[in-house]
Amino acid sequence: MAAQALWSGTISFSLVAIPVRLVKAIEPGRVSFHLLHSKDYSRLSRKMFCPGEGAMVPPDEIVRGYEILPNKYILMTDEELESVSPERSRTIEITEFIDMKDVDPIYYDHPYYLVPSKGGEKAYQLLVEVMRRTNKAGLAKFVLAEREYLVAIKSRDNTLELITLHYHDEILPDENSASKKGTIGAEEESRMKKSIEQMIEDFDPAKYADKRRKKLVDLLQTKVKENALVAAPVVEEEEGESPADLVAALEESMRKVKANQ
Amino acid sequence: MSRTFVDIRGQRLSLTNLEKDLYPFSGFTKAGVLEYYRGIAPYILPHLKDRALTLKRYPEGVDKDFFFEKRCPSHRPEWVKTAAVPQNGGKPITFCLVNDLETLIWVANLASLELHVPLSRAGSPGTPDSMVFDLDPGEGANILHCSRVALLLRDLLSEMGLESYVKTSGQKGLHVFVPLNNKETTFEDTKTFTKAVAGAMQKHYPDLVTAKMAKQERIARVFINWSQNDASKTMICVYSLRAREKPFVSFPLAWKELEYLSSQGDPKRFHVFHTEVVRRVEEKGGLFQEVLVQEQKLPHL
Repeated sequence: MAAQALWSGTISFSLVAIPVRLVKAIEPGRVSFHLLHSKDYSRLSRKMFCPGEGAMVPPDEIVRGYEILPNKYILMTDEELESVSPERSRTIEITEFIDMKDVDPIYYDHPYYLVPSKGGEKAYQLLVEVMRRTNKAGLAKFVLAEREYLVAIKSRDNTLELITLHYHDEILPDENSASKKGTIGAEEESRMKKSIEQMIEDFDPAKYADKRRKKLVDLLQTKVKENALVAAPVVEEEEGESPADLVAALEESMRKVKANQ
Repeated sequence: MSRTFVDIRGQRLSLTNLEKDLYPFSGFTKAGVLEYYRGIAPYILPHLKDRALTLKRYPEGVDKDFFFEKRCPSHRPEWVKTAAVPQNGGKPITFCLVNDLETLIWVANLASLELHVPLSRAGSPGTPDSMVFDLDPGEGANILHCSRVALLLRDLLSEMGLESYVKTSGQKGLHVFVPLNNKETTFEDTKTFTKAVAGAMQKHYPDLVTAKMAKQERIARVFINWSQNDASKTMICVYSLRAREKPFVSFPLAWKELEYLSSQGDPKRFHVFHTEVVRRVEEKGGLFQEVLVQEQKLPHL
């Protein structure tokens, strides 16, 4: 079974159009927990609470506000938000090719894979190969989940990788840049260089694993073996009894149905 | 993209990719889909009329990604009728209304193979004109179990003074409809009623029926999904194609036919293939016509 596509469409530039699907490249190893009530282990749900009224607020009474001054809001409707959202798009239009090494890694946001859709395999392989040989990456604008991203598309082994990039405005200034002045003594420099050189290795990410996660998974497995499972009581999906009159009429009719069989 | 222009009732439509194999396991192309909807139009249109359509689009075919589309696409032709329907008391959404042949063909050309509509009309979204029991077989159960439940429901409802109608879902289940067509009955009423019926069925036939959504409750049982009786829910329209491997249709059955199929014990015989639909409708008439007109009131509420 192929990985679930997050998006499908075509990559295009000049006269090339390749059908592709966007799939996840990362599966975060986070172990997540649900919050339960300690008394009966029911799954807890979040409700919106209005401190002004001292009551829960139904969904149709909830609006969005942007806090422009302390406790001063500008209201924003769904329509207004939608009016500024980009149109869903079926294409990733590469507008320029760049050298990936010119992209400061601080701009990297999130990686995905682009895999070929039916009929696009040949053109896809060609693009992967040419990008690999020329060491170039495509730059494109791309709409995913109502947001427009700047993305870089590069080849990685036999696959295209799509990396969403941060916009320039999102990168914070380097706070430490003020203290760059001052001279570095030749001896200090050489000592530090030596210390670093002694520790140089080839990067091998497989050497590292999230130890806490491993311990947590082991602990969970032990607890499963101990059968230390708890369950919430089964609750009706909707509260409220059926009207007594209706229930009585149904019982009577049911009796007749069974008698006729 | 290949393009063909046609004129339907004076409106010009641009049909695209007609050769596209939308059901690759059956060799059923987009041209075939449009042809099916053109043929069934006189029978399906009354059931779509004035209802807020939810499109379920399969632009790359039934084996590829699909998406639901509630908002009527902004690139629609100007003659497509629409209605703004409030959502859960919130902001309204503009839906397509499939009131004529040209809109039906336009919608089908968007590869919206499945046509889903609410139980109420766009002008009166809070007033369902029918009540539905959506019979959904859990793991280990099949449409034969559903047909037993449907026949019991028919008898039970009949004892309560209500006439009901049944159609296949076009997949694994059955839908039992109770026409109401009165202005007083609300979704709250139909939900209360169907929930009480589902509860009574579960109580008397605990090995066959469950009224609970939970997956483990449904194993080897039929889930009577009463929660479909809601302004925000939609049902597959009668005569709509389903996007399965094969182009099966949600098709109405006479109760006698259901009794017969139930006695035959072969789940496959419940499938209605698109090619037999028009012929069967022309022979038997629109078995679901009454659902649109028969006036009934729910007792004991």
